[in-house]
Amino acid sequence: MSDPTALTRAEVDPADWVETISAALAEGYTFFDWLTAVDQLDDEQAPGLDVVCHLMDGSTPKSLRRKLFRTRVPSGSSLASLTPVFRGVAWHERETHEMFGLDFDGFDDGTGLGLRPLLLPDGFEGTPLRKSFVLAARASKPWPGAKEPGESEHAKPTGRRRVSAPGVPDPEWGPR
Amino acid sequence: MTTTQPTQPTQPTQPTQPTQPAPGSTSRPTPLPMPRVGPATDLAPQPIRVVLNWGRRYSLWVFNFGLACCAIEFIAASMARHDFIRLGVIPFAPGPRQADLMVVSGTVTDKMAPAVRRLYDQMPEPKYVISFGACSNSGGPYWDSYSVTKGVDTIIPVDVYVPGCPPRPESLLQGILKLQEKIAAETLTTKGIRAKYAGHRIASAAEVNRPLVPPPTKAAP
Repeated sequence: MSDPTALTRAEVDPADWVETISAALAEGYTFFDWLTAVDQLDDEQAPGLDVVCHLMDGSTPKSLRRKLFRTRVPSGSSLASLTPVFRGVAWHERETHEMFGLDFDGFDDGTGLGLRPLLLPDGFEGTPLRKSFVLAARASKPWPGAKEPGESEHAKPTGRRRVSAPGVPDPEWGPR
Repeated sequence: MTTTQPTQPTQPTQPTQPTQPAPGSTSRPTPLPMPRVGPATDLAPQPIRVVLNWGRRYSLWVFNFGLACCAIEFIAASMARHDFIRLGVIPFAPGPRQADLMVVSGTVTDKMAPAVRRLYDQMPEPKYVISFGACSNSGGPYWDSYSVTKGVDTIIPVDVYVPGCPPRPESLLQGILKLQEKIAAETLTTKGIRAKYAGHRIASAAEVNRPLVPPPTKAAP
């Protein structure tokens, strides 16, 4: 599993996505491991979502043959669903759909209910794993503790620059 | 951002008897009976109350809500080295209906919060809650997250907070001792426990009883 030489990578065109995965399945990569996306919408050349799929060949347990597929789905377009190839992709595609807002054409998990939220609570709006998603908790309620030196009531404020976490907006952001 | 907030009671909670729903109509919620203490406890003189509190503080059946890595520390506290059974805390209650104490150990998410609330509502009064670890105290390192509830005390009342990330088992033992001191000092009355749970006893029996989950229907090929 940890043998890096057993992993091969493949860059796939979005149009050939299902054909490539089907060919890999016929080639012996019969174990679907996971599928997810990476937000590359801030890429200047080709803004889009990278969809990554990891397959394994279970017939070689000593040095597990693995294959990592990656495709760049342009922003605004959708990707063909892998559910006809691997049934287990359905959960991963539902999660990718709710976290990144990526649509999968031809999604069918046997229920006929289509792409629907899997992990997020009911009524959640937004795609939280996109880089554009704002973690707005600090805008709506005060931070419960003292994170920086000088923020507690026991110490004097220091002139230190305040550190903000990625995705957390500035104090000036949003309605107060 | 959506955060799970406790739904406010739409009507003042009255001491009502549970009424059976009409056959065929299971959608009508049945109000839960309001908690009360027995007549002996209500009228007991102070020495008897001390004895009753003494019995209650040393037989806490605990219901562990292990949601994340803090649950491992809870399990360590229940094992032979730390062994909170010597404090009268009995782990692994058969379910929330047999438990007196709920230990929420781990990250409460907005998706999980309704289940925490439902199981808390199933516990019989008097019931106590220990919030174990930074995540269930306040959200902890995930406070900025889109999915983590900012403290379990936004959905249920908490008696003792145990700080740490994760806290050591000794911290839980100290929290149990603090809770036992609190139990020893309390005077349990019907009025008192109704005041304590007034804003929180909002679930109806229909909400804490889940119907049978139907099997998935497969579309005809």
